[in-house]
Amino acid sequence: MRKRVVITGLGVVSAVGNNLPEFWNSLTEGKDGTKEITVFDPSAYRTKIAAEVSDLAPEAHFSKKEIRRLSRCDQFGLIAFREAWKSAGLDQDSQDKEKGGVVLGAGSGGILSVERYFRDFYQGRKKPFPSLLISYSLATTTDHIAIEADLKGPRTTTATVCSSSSASMGVAFEMIQMGLAEVMVTGGSDSLCEVSYSGFNSLKLVDPESCKPFDKRRQGLVIGEGAGILILEELEHALKRNAPIHAEFLGYGICADAYHLTAPEPNGEGVERVIKIALVHAGVSSEEIDTINAHGTATTFNDIAETRGIKRVFEERAKEIPISGIKSMVGHCLGSAGGIEAVATVMTLETGIIPPTIHYKVPDPFCDLNYTPNHSIKKDVRIAISNSFAFGGNNVCLVFGKFSSE
Amino acid sequence: MEVYNKTFRNTPNSELQTPNSPNAHRVVITGLGMISSIGVGKEAFWENCLRGTSGIRPIHGFDVSPYRSRLGGQLPEIDFKAFIKPANLRRMDRIGKIVVSAVRVAIDDSDLNLEEEDSSRVGISIGTGLGSSDTVDQFFRSLLKEGPLGAAPLLFQTAVPNAITSHCAIEYGIKGVNITFSHKESSTEMAMTFAYHLLKEGRADVIFAGGGDELSEPLYHVYSMLGALSPGKGKGAEGMRPFDRDRNGIVLGEGSGILVLETLEHAKKRGAKIYAEMAGVGLSGSTDGLLSYDLRGDSMAGAMSLAAKDLRTVDHISAAANSTPDLDRAETLAIKKVFRERAKEISVSSLKSMLGEFDGSGGIRACALALSLYQGMILPTIGTKNLDPQCDLNVVLGQSKKKEIRSAILNGCSNGGSNISLWFKRHS
Repeated sequence: MRKRVVITGLGVVSAVGNNLPEFWNSLTEGKDGTKEITVFDPSAYRTKIAAEVSDLAPEAHFSKKEIRRLSRCDQFGLIAFREAWKSAGLDQDSQDKEKGGVVLGAGSGGILSVERYFRDFYQGRKKPFPSLLISYSLATTTDHIAIEADLKGPRTTTATVCSSSSASMGVAFEMIQMGLAEVMVTGGSDSLCEVSYSGFNSLKLVDPESCKPFDKRRQGLVIGEGAGILILEELEHALKRNAPIHAEFLGYGICADAYHLTAPEPNGEGVERVIKIALVHAGVSSEEIDTINAHGTATTFNDIAETRGIKRVFEERAKEIPISGIKSMVGHCLGSAGGIEAVATVMTLETGIIPPTIHYKVPDPFCDLNYTPNHSIKKDVRIAISNSFAFGGNNVCLVFGKFSSE
Repeated sequence: MEVYNKTFRNTPNSELQTPNSPNAHRVVITGLGMISSIGVGKEAFWENCLRGTSGIRPIHGFDVSPYRSRLGGQLPEIDFKAFIKPANLRRMDRIGKIVVSAVRVAIDDSDLNLEEEDSSRVGISIGTGLGSSDTVDQFFRSLLKEGPLGAAPLLFQTAVPNAITSHCAIEYGIKGVNITFSHKESSTEMAMTFAYHLLKEGRADVIFAGGGDELSEPLYHVYSMLGALSPGKGKGAEGMRPFDRDRNGIVLGEGSGILVLETLEHAKKRGAKIYAEMAGVGLSGSTDGLLSYDLRGDSMAGAMSLAAKDLRTVDHISAAANSTPDLDRAETLAIKKVFRERAKEISVSSLKSMLGEFDGSGGIRACALALSLYQGMILPTIGTKNLDPQCDLNVVLGQSKKKEIRSAILNGCSNGGSNISLWFKRHS
């Protein structure tokens, strides 16, 4: 029999809040985290905004020496991890370290540090510190967390960028199914950096004003940053230690469009396929889905493809299901997008509040569903899905349910 | 559920309706694809494996004079048009071409006709340590030189680590599972682990599993600056010599290896040739430090014990040993912890001695191990002259050796501490 997997800890760092209560409060109030970029000089760019994390005060969390060695991505990941770990009560419980693992998703990882190194190196200004290169591997944040908590179970990092931290949750789920772990730290962390900022800019996928998912005026994404960390736990293990259970992770799907390196399959077939694979894996019917946390990047083609895919799955019910596009508030956090959105989806199940898609004014005839415009709504949500899609047509869909002991 | 499945247009296979029956399937290896410094394709590669040919030579293509090292296991010139349609080659960077070609070799070797398969039940799971490191570097340099408005979009879309996996999916119409792992030296072992598990649960029929990495100038720079390359700071000679008392770091290599993993049922149905069975995986983590291997070997021992359900049948280990002082010693400790008095009976080889070390090497090493099981041949560890007394295993030196192998373990160990062991059985 399959093992049941529940979520017992949540942690967030984001442009709209550096801990779970602040983050959730901002989302329910429809607060936009977009601001002018400060982590690098944006003056030469066509666009100058991002959903940047502010007021984090790393000194409050790390020693001076640690700050020198930790990339911005590592810092976000560790702070969100500590919140999740503590809220799960795992900092107090002595659990079996060999049955605890870490699977994070990565996007650009610690590349901000690597950029610093290579800028100095190529411009020959000064001799750069080789220690900046420790962040060259995408595994670095994952390893930092495992080492800090002394976790000796399975450990890996997924690297599908925009869907990485959703894919990581699927992999973490399997580690529990395989009997290799009872507790898994999962989700992802990512920080702003020039390579990804200029990359999305060069593809003309960045909106210069704000992120407006599903709105006719949308011009693309706003890049964000942060971390979303979830603690997955095997149900029996969680019950035995009386852990706080936020929701159940019912299943997931992962598949490919096999269509194009950057554009989604335009008819939504890939989106349809991944949602259906996820529903079957979770053992639930499309009738049971109460809300959708959309990928909703606010690029022209993603939003249409996602809308079409949702219609293909839910048919006449599609218009009834409230859809949330929280990238309108936290930006597209790339390697941590799926993790942050999974945290939001779990909070929706727990609180019965569906966060809005903000900046929604002008409906697009190609995006004609209920996107929960501008204001959060209250609804009893029993089962919710969260979509993540990446470059190359990599699709992931996660299914979460309200926990009940039956 | 009944009603629901009627609308499940794209995945008609009834297998998917039973997600709650784990471990229902056996998993076999039915195709091998490798693009390596010692041979492209099975025949050339295997001949050189048996002979113990080294793929390590002085680096060509960029200037190594700023470094203490000058060797690398680079690929020969490859005519990628032999594997990939010329129109499609244009959108791929070098590592993309390498991995897509390896998948082509694997498809041809397996006799799979992808047009006859349900494309949503064919998947791909790839591991790469650094993916398109050269493209990322080119993109970054274009950004420094031209400013943000001059940054090249075509470079960016191939710079993401999962671009190589996407290239494969697009090239071969692979619409099922699609995932990319990047966790240093255990990246490809993880890719194979994930594929194995999904096949076991019947959530796919066929998964291409493996990965690769390229040896680029920026990568060489990073490894060198982090002090990982032989000869390190010491005075010894540069070279790969796993388990040797004079080992002093790695020589960087490159290449790609892909396994066609398939459920036994599906393989039998299409009358596929079966190289070996994949029969177990073990994963564990060590926490000795961000750049440290599992220093005491406890974690590696745990991974091997979890993977090999029947330790008594293990006759061979394809070691992770990479000519670093720490890993080779720790792996020795781990093997002795697991096998105790039997440790000396087990033939140990490190293919990295021929290829050099690279994060995505697990795929090629798994291909070689599948052939070892299939043909009953154990490959030599080359370059090693004087076995370190702290590495007192039955390391096969010099020449390949004929030996029936009942089952074998492939180890993958990353610095930072992700340790993965895969267990393969001879198929009879």
